[in-house]
Amino acid sequence: MKPKATAEVVATQKSQNVPLSQSQAVHRGKVKYEKKAESEFFVDNSALAGFTGERILYMAVRELIENSLDSCESSHILPRISLSLKTLEAANDLWMITCEDNGIGIPADKLPIAVCSFLTSGKYVEKQQRGLFGVGLKMIAAFSTKDTDHPLKVWSKSSEDGSEHYFELRTDISTNRPIVLIKKQLKESEGKISGESGFRIEAILRARLSPITKGKIYDYISQTSVVNPYAVLEFETDEGKVVFERRTSVMSEPAKEVLPHPADMDLKTLKKAIMNFMNQKTTLQGVLSESFQKMSGEKAKEIIANAGLENKLADKYNEHELIKVVNICKQTKFHMPNTDHLSPIGEEILTAGMTSVYTIITSRSEEASGGNGEPSQPQISVKVLKPSLTGYSSRTCVINNRPTIVECGIAYGGDISSFKLYRFANKIPLLYDEGSDVAREVVSEVEINKMGISKKEVKEQFANPDAKSDRAVELLPLHIFFHICSTKIPYKTAGKESIASEGELKRYMKACLSDLYRKVSAQIRKELRMKEAQSRLNLYKYYIPLIVGAISESVSVDPKKLEETFTELAEKHVAGEITGQPLKEKEDEITGQRLEKEVEIDGEIIKRDKNQIAINAARRKGAKSKPKNKSVQTTLDAVMQKKKVK
Amino acid sequence: MPVTDKRHQEVVKKIKQIMKDVSTDLMLERTMPVLDVPKVGYDNTVWSEEKKMLTIGDKVVKISPDSTKKIPTFTQYLVMANAVRRLLDEEMESTIRGMYYATLSTVGDEKNKQKFWRGQDDSDDAIKAIELLTGVPREEFSVTSKPKGMISGPITLRVGGDIIDCNLGSRATSQLIPTNIRDVEIVNVNADFVMVVEKDTVLNNIRKSGFIQKYNAILMTGSGEPDRATRMMVRTLNEEWKKPVVVFADADPWGLGIALRYKIGSESLSYDSDRLVTPNAMVLGMMFSDIYQYQIPEVARLAASEEDINRALDMKKKPWFQDKQWQKELDLFLKRKEKCELDAFFKHGFKYLAEVYLPQKLRQAGVI
Repeated sequence: MKPKATAEVVATQKSQNVPLSQSQAVHRGKVKYEKKAESEFFVDNSALAGFTGERILYMAVRELIENSLDSCESSHILPRISLSLKTLEAANDLWMITCEDNGIGIPADKLPIAVCSFLTSGKYVEKQQRGLFGVGLKMIAAFSTKDTDHPLKVWSKSSEDGSEHYFELRTDISTNRPIVLIKKQLKESEGKISGESGFRIEAILRARLSPITKGKIYDYISQTSVVNPYAVLEFETDEGKVVFERRTSVMSEPAKEVLPHPADMDLKTLKKAIMNFMNQKTTLQGVLSESFQKMSGEKAKEIIANAGLENKLADKYNEHELIKVVNICKQTKFHMPNTDHLSPIGEEILTAGMTSVYTIITSRSEEASGGNGEPSQPQISVKVLKPSLTGYSSRTCVINNRPTIVECGIAYGGDISSFKLYRFANKIPLLYDEGSDVAREVVSEVEINKMGISKKEVKEQFANPDAKSDRAVELLPLHIFFHICSTKIPYKTAGKESIASEGELKRYMKACLSDLYRKVSAQIRKELRMKEAQSRLNLYKYYIPLIVGAISESVSVDPKKLEETFTELAEKHVAGEITGQPLKEKEDEITGQRLEKEVEIDGEIIKRDKNQIAINAARRKGAKSKPKNKSVQTTLDAVMQKKKVK
Repeated sequence: MPVTDKRHQEVVKKIKQIMKDVSTDLMLERTMPVLDVPKVGYDNTVWSEEKKMLTIGDKVVKISPDSTKKIPTFTQYLVMANAVRRLLDEEMESTIRGMYYATLSTVGDEKNKQKFWRGQDDSDDAIKAIELLTGVPREEFSVTSKPKGMISGPITLRVGGDIIDCNLGSRATSQLIPTNIRDVEIVNVNADFVMVVEKDTVLNNIRKSGFIQKYNAILMTGSGEPDRATRMMVRTLNEEWKKPVVVFADADPWGLGIALRYKIGSESLSYDSDRLVTPNAMVLGMMFSDIYQYQIPEVARLAASEEDINRALDMKKKPWFQDKQWQKELDLFLKRKEKCELDAFFKHGFKYLAEVYLPQKLRQAGVI
């Protein structure tokens, strides 16, 4: 019966197998062409600026801190930044984010536009800079307007105005215009900003904060302090307040605006350059030599000639002629671009940062829980990791015609207990997509034996059950820092969280890391040897008491003295092997010094004279066995054979 | 008892001497002490043509705390030596397992704690080292193992103060051979010869058949690998009481190896051969040729494993195997690649082994 039943089932299935009908109708209609305001565009495409649901608060923190740092550094002010991120209404996912700095502030007349209107920025120049081209602050304003009925509150004391102004603002998203609800000049007594200048913003945002993102915010702040050790960063959350102190008052030179390099010229840059000289009766040769670096008057003349053009007033050329100039520029060799306009972190500052890496620790205090059964409020605090050794190395190179500086730092040992890779681009920490970053490739490709240790040794000596990876380098207590600065960082994706292996960037990064591996090799080798010696000493420390116990129970001997001499001997033995000095010499010296000594063991006074010592020394060197009672017996001694069993 | 006390004193004296040497090295000569332990194993075992037994060579292993790897071993030896001394001081006896427990401890601090012994094997090795260092077998210092040897027949032992007549009930049961040989004394032997078999199952079968009574024999077995008490008993019966000893084991290289433990000794106990080996023992069976001579049916034969073959090839080269008869037997085995247990004779009937095979073999050898 069974086979038949199966056949029936199959048949049923087949009958149900109806062919798919193509019933979906395609609706056609007229296409409506509209212009969108910049603000609306960015709000609709917030991912372009990194403001995706999960990351809103992270991006907000990032934008505010970066704006503050830029604002301070542009005028050589040692930054002091306070940021607070607190829950406002947990039920509605409302957060209040506040940021205050001692930067140059924004003049009152420009402030509403600078805060609310997209694509309005002082950053549209060829220059190494942090910000995302004037989008970040506007995103915060737009999101606040979009999701809440709270106004954005801003206090600004600009060095131009000299007095503090207070604003309450919202963004008209459909027109990209600010809506000024309140604007007032504050009296001295009403002011929030205590210094000569500064900026304070208070925004309400609707967002969720996952533990992962919270961790990223903490990482972002602590890593920012690594590359900006001259800044005081105060950070307050619902879990408490932490302060990252200023560790140096040295600030790196701010990045300067730079003329574009001719190899990077295109029709747009050329036309823009010509526009800048409009109505000034300047020749094309003049425009070229004034607008591009590495372009002397001679070189400009040569290029115009090579393009088959006459040198005439710059605005007298048409596009067909100008493109010839661009083409010639692409074919001509120029000097390497300047690098002096870049602002690397520098050895002094990065070292200051590396020698005091702050980490934010979340702990739950036991007392707070009280016993009422409620989970206690976690508490944040900071811990400073002091390495035992740091190193710094840098290379200047040209990647995609953009001068680029690669900086690499290494911190080893001390409070550092595990491996970590830090990545920075133009002084901004990169926290996501580490796996696809060129720095990750560099770390796995530079051979660890440049440090003077083999993978095997590392695995034996630094075995760490908590390590996430079993790659040798990641078992070391090592922090590696990479900083790339350039007027244009070769980011891999629009998210700007990882750097692509563009041009020879990787080669330069590897060279830097190799330098540093060599620098730390001596220290690591020394530590390895000490670790080994320590483990040997420990072994003696553990076993000597057992040996002494066994001996002193069997024969009467001063156990304290025995333990002391044994320990001393063991220490010398370990030390002797470490420095590679022959122990024998030392030993003879010691014995020589103690010629007059005698020991009482088991009621017997044992003395050694010089001859005896010489005999013993010879015995140790040459003789196979001891001429003592321990002599070897080929079979058990005669005593046993005599024993009769009757 | 005073005699044994004197033996004890000797052992204690030797242990104390070791301790003294170590302390002298440390405190006076300021050098790392070294224990020279005679090496035990195949590479330090020497065939003595004169004694016809395996003896220990002159290689020694130096155990000194100057090497990190040896620190634990060195400590283990001293701790064990001290434990033996304590045992003797207290006039107690212990098994090797007891010594393991008596010396159990941990080494290191809270963070890095290890066991002093990784297992009983470590502690057994330490006991062996004490034997080698003092030149005294462990039975002499009252450290024994679990008895497994068995004896039946007209022999009287005194164990402690009590008389044990191994002939009593010898049709039904056997006596365990005590391992604390210091306390064992042979009082009387009325047998004509001693027959040693490999396994207790075979012994039981032979005993039940009335073999002991019929041939006036002592039956013994080591139940596989014989312990020292069993080997020593066999030797004593042969050397002191002049009783002929015959050995029967399975017809395979493994069984042959066990038979040879009695006759020539073993690598792992080569240092104690003088007390353990019975060179006059006759290994009578089961020969490989017996498989065919006594027509063991094919179903009761076993195929030789690769290991068996290698063992046989190895044996063929040994100096004590150069006898023509033995070479012939091994050649036969290597050719037929078949082995057989003594138990296979049961296929011919339960009494065949005791009533046909063994008497024939014994008669051929002139024992009965």
